[in-house]
Amino acid sequence: MLWEIAGRAMDSTLIPPLSQIAAAWWKLFSSGKLLANLSMSLTTLAVGFLLAVVVGVILGLLMGRFRAVEHFLDLYVNALMSAPTTAFVPVLILWFGLGVESRIAVVFLFAVFVIIINTMTGVKQVDSVLVEMARSFGAKEREIFFKIILPAALPAIMAGLRLGMGRAVKGMVTAEMLLTLTGIGAMIMQYGSAFATDALFAVILTVLLVALITMKAVQWLDHRLTGWKAEIAIE
Amino acid sequence: MMRRLQGSETSVQNVQAARAVQTVREPLGSSNVLNELNALNGLNASKALVEIQAVSKSFHKAVKENTTEIKALSDVSLSVRENEFISIIGPSGCGKTTLLKMIDGLIPYDSGKIVINGKPVTAPGPDRAVVFQSFALLPWRTVLANVEFSLELRQLSKEERTKTARDYLKRVGLADFEHHYPHELSGGMQQRAGLARALAVNPAILLMDEPFGAVDAQTRQLLQEELLELWQRERKTVIFVTHSMDEAVYLSDRVVVMTPRPGKVAEILDVPLPRPRVSEQVRRHVKFVDLTNYIWESLKRAMENHH
Repeated sequence: MLWEIAGRAMDSTLIPPLSQIAAAWWKLFSSGKLLANLSMSLTTLAVGFLLAVVVGVILGLLMGRFRAVEHFLDLYVNALMSAPTTAFVPVLILWFGLGVESRIAVVFLFAVFVIIINTMTGVKQVDSVLVEMARSFGAKEREIFFKIILPAALPAIMAGLRLGMGRAVKGMVTAEMLLTLTGIGAMIMQYGSAFATDALFAVILTVLLVALITMKAVQWLDHRLTGWKAEIAIE
Repeated sequence: MMRRLQGSETSVQNVQAARAVQTVREPLGSSNVLNELNALNGLNASKALVEIQAVSKSFHKAVKENTTEIKALSDVSLSVRENEFISIIGPSGCGKTTLLKMIDGLIPYDSGKIVINGKPVTAPGPDRAVVFQSFALLPWRTVLANVEFSLELRQLSKEERTKTARDYLKRVGLADFEHHYPHELSGGMQQRAGLARALAVNPAILLMDEPFGAVDAQTRQLLQEELLELWQRERKTVIFVTHSMDEAVYLSDRVVVMTPRPGKVAEILDVPLPRPRVSEQVRRHVKFVDLTNYIWESLKRAMENHH
């Protein structure tokens, strides 16, 4: 409401009223342009994020379980975690060119470190009494890993995935704007420079929607897998 | 340490009666009491199942460049008979839990020997099961699945696991709670599940590490009674670590009193109380009161000699 009034009262080029944005969104949607670009972007997102999950969880588990692996990788992970990932874009262009591989790499880099660190922390925080209990009942290393460590660390791993998903969406848009103008990022750049603010806001709102939906999806998965933890938290 | 012991339920009368106990000391250690005990429990024929021979253990603690050696146990010898209920009592940090873990095979000993059924202990084995002070239940598993955990590691079929787990849940009075998660249960019920998990693998030796230390006083007494009933029925050898004198005397055939760190065996006392023991009667029995007082004195002496 406030937005609508503000939009109508002020210069509609800078803050277009919601009704105008909705109309622009509908135009983009019905022409198929939005969906075509969106599906391209989401493919990048999905591939990059899944790679980040696989690599991040495996590295995180190894770093949490084996001190030697942690010593070896800790410095790099922490440095890369805090460094602005955007700075690596030129390097990625050198390595992967300007194609989809580079965009996937950006999504991957945005998401992977927070997943590594969360997974590692989760593994390290597993109650040592539970491991001792399993060992006492004759569990071997493999059984300790799959029956104790992994389920106990799962809530932390899922929290990492949630944070990673948020970063992956950022990575997706960044890559499409900085690397090659494709997908949603291209639309943002295009409408932004053409001062087509209604269409620009329509695209931005779509990005917000995508971010929200993907986060909800990870949250849903989290709840399915670690419902026992959520119930404890409520108490 | 002193404060902790004085804080336990039995302490008030113990402190008051402590001086009168000196006279009781002689007959308790004498052989006619031992004969009486053996006659009562029919333990004459029982052979040694667990042999602990001059076991010592030190931990190394690294503080910056210096490693300090902490001697946890020194020259501990103890022989546990088959089907015996034996308690190990001592001040916190005397290494009684360490001793229990070494019997289980969770941690190695530095010197000496622990032999079970003629074989030296090197690792956890199917003849032993531990009941943990903090219950150590898996929070993501239901009570039933927690009891099944110990059976999963023994390659039993799914049906067999469920059947056995249900059977033991019934024995500890948790039949109606199999689908509950641990956090939905009280401490007492959680430890019942822990007990069921240990019993389910049908071990010859039950190792209990202050199992009732984390539950309230009333529940504790109830669990003690239930444990005695179970023990009477299942005839297991129980090694029970506690810091409650009351609990040790009520449950055990013998009580091992340990000194503060480095833990040594101060003395081993027979409990000449008839079984089955009915809680209300036994706790008022003159021998019960004398013995708890005597153990208190013994602990106090051990701690005074130490300082």
